[in-house]
Amino acid sequence: MKRETISQALNLLEERHISDTASFDPGAVQEPPERIISMKKKRIITLALAAALLLTLSVAAYAAWSVHAARQQELKEDLKIEENHVSSYLEYQVPEESENAGLVLLSTVNDGESQRVFVNVSPVERDVVERFPESVAFAWKLDGMTVNGEDYWMTAGPKLQSSISVSGREQIREAVLRDAYEESTKTLTLECFISNQAIAQAQAAHDSESVLLTVTLWDHQAQADAGVGSSTAWLNGQESFGSLWFTPTEQEMRYFDFGHALYHDEETDREIELVGLELTPFSAVWKVHYEGDAALHTPGVDQDAYGPWSLLEDKICLEARLVFSDGSEFSTGGALTCPYENGTVNQFCGWGSAIDIGDVQRILLGDLVLWEADN
Amino acid sequence: MTDAQIIDLFFERSEQAIEELAKKHGGAVSRVAYNILGNSRDTEECVNDTWLGTWNAIPPERPAPLRSFVCRIARNLATKRYHANTAEKRNSQYDLALDELAACIPDRNSVEDAYGAKELAAAISSFLDTLAYADKFLFMRRYWYADSLTDISAMSGLGYKTVSVRLTRIKAKLKHYLMKEGLLV
Repeated sequence: MKRETISQALNLLEERHISDTASFDPGAVQEPPERIISMKKKRIITLALAAALLLTLSVAAYAAWSVHAARQQELKEDLKIEENHVSSYLEYQVPEESENAGLVLLSTVNDGESQRVFVNVSPVERDVVERFPESVAFAWKLDGMTVNGEDYWMTAGPKLQSSISVSGREQIREAVLRDAYEESTKTLTLECFISNQAIAQAQAAHDSESVLLTVTLWDHQAQADAGVGSSTAWLNGQESFGSLWFTPTEQEMRYFDFGHALYHDEETDREIELVGLELTPFSAVWKVHYEGDAALHTPGVDQDAYGPWSLLEDKICLEARLVFSDGSEFSTGGALTCPYENGTVNQFCGWGSAIDIGDVQRILLGDLVLWEADN
Repeated sequence: MTDAQIIDLFFERSEQAIEELAKKHGGAVSRVAYNILGNSRDTEECVNDTWLGTWNAIPPERPAPLRSFVCRIARNLATKRYHANTAEKRNSQYDLALDELAACIPDRNSVEDAYGAKELAAAISSFLDTLAYADKFLFMRRYWYADSLTDISAMSGLGYKTVSVRLTRIKAKLKHYLMKEGLLV
């Protein structure tokens, strides 16, 4: 199609799509809201426990201890760590001092492709939080992680409940204030997704297992007002909430061998081989193989040739079901990345709250049984 | 100053309106224009034309949100200028973005004579409604705002490779969708 026609069509797209994507709404990237009610109950229990602690602690100590410890408790419940027997989740000791907390490491877990790092930052004024996500964001970097020789900053999102779905500025603001912000201590809980690749680069730069994380406020408006075009230059010049060293956690993984099962897709009349599944509590890698897959996963590939295969790759991730001992089923959702490595296309899928990887009884794709536990 | 206050200044025909508008949304407008035009001189002229366009549009309009309203004006002006420029002068993120989309919506076998930009826009809008928010964000930032993959990666917190792969899949889905809708055969 002519470039002019496409260009003109883009100009005519509906207003809501433009305003929805003016800045990134992390709150809109959440799972469906089927568990809102139970999660609210859990939050009430958590708050009740925190309130009980108030009776035994001095007010000054409580202000800091409760906000960090209560967040740790909420995170553990939200991520379903205990009920799904996640052993790779690591909680850190939190400071008891209430003043100048700056950056506090709460917990980390390896989701297979990245470390999910949960931190509290303070002080963050309420009016700053209210400007999120329109004109304020939060950014992190690892010391030694560079692109083209420059520090590389990535955005961190306020940690909202995994089970809710919010969209639109007002809903997001409400959710952030409700789930991630503690006004009396001006503390905001953030989640940083730090890729294993970035961690490896930072570890190599320091020849150390530990990495140095820095988190800062990214005020887009202040940057624009200052006329600084380079975000890296701007962020490097800002005072951060602080920096801290941490050692990345190992991933726990279970491998399911499908014995090179073949799946025939009637819609496209194509056949794809399912090699196996690497499953962690927060992610899955579907290993598939088909004729010509290596060539189709090289840069600059012909989109006409790859298009139908990419849809079929996606279909595997979307339609396969993990069946647990209580009969419940789980879909890993669409793949986020699909590199070709060691003879297979490795489709990585991720999700918010943990699943019990030890409890998987069967793996199905349509009528095809890919794997079944020996009972 | 809030958007509503800036719009009030436009209604009062106060020149401070443009000053405040530029202060608040100038960065976003410049970015859209620069991504499409790829050079500072054209961008500056386009941004100035955007303020003039906004001055002429408000009143009677009272847009909400103001940022996407001015970004749309900037984009329309920038794409007009972009298509008027000779091919030799084009060297922007928008070139790459349009090339990517043109490859996904091929010329051959298309029925674009019967279905013009308006129909295509309606189809793409409907298609965007079928996407998860993150995918919609990636599509719009790449093809409407013409941001680079590196910038989208930084904005979304997704890795560069993730952004690239997801965009490839979104384009495949778009092509499939347009075929189903009868815009491609």
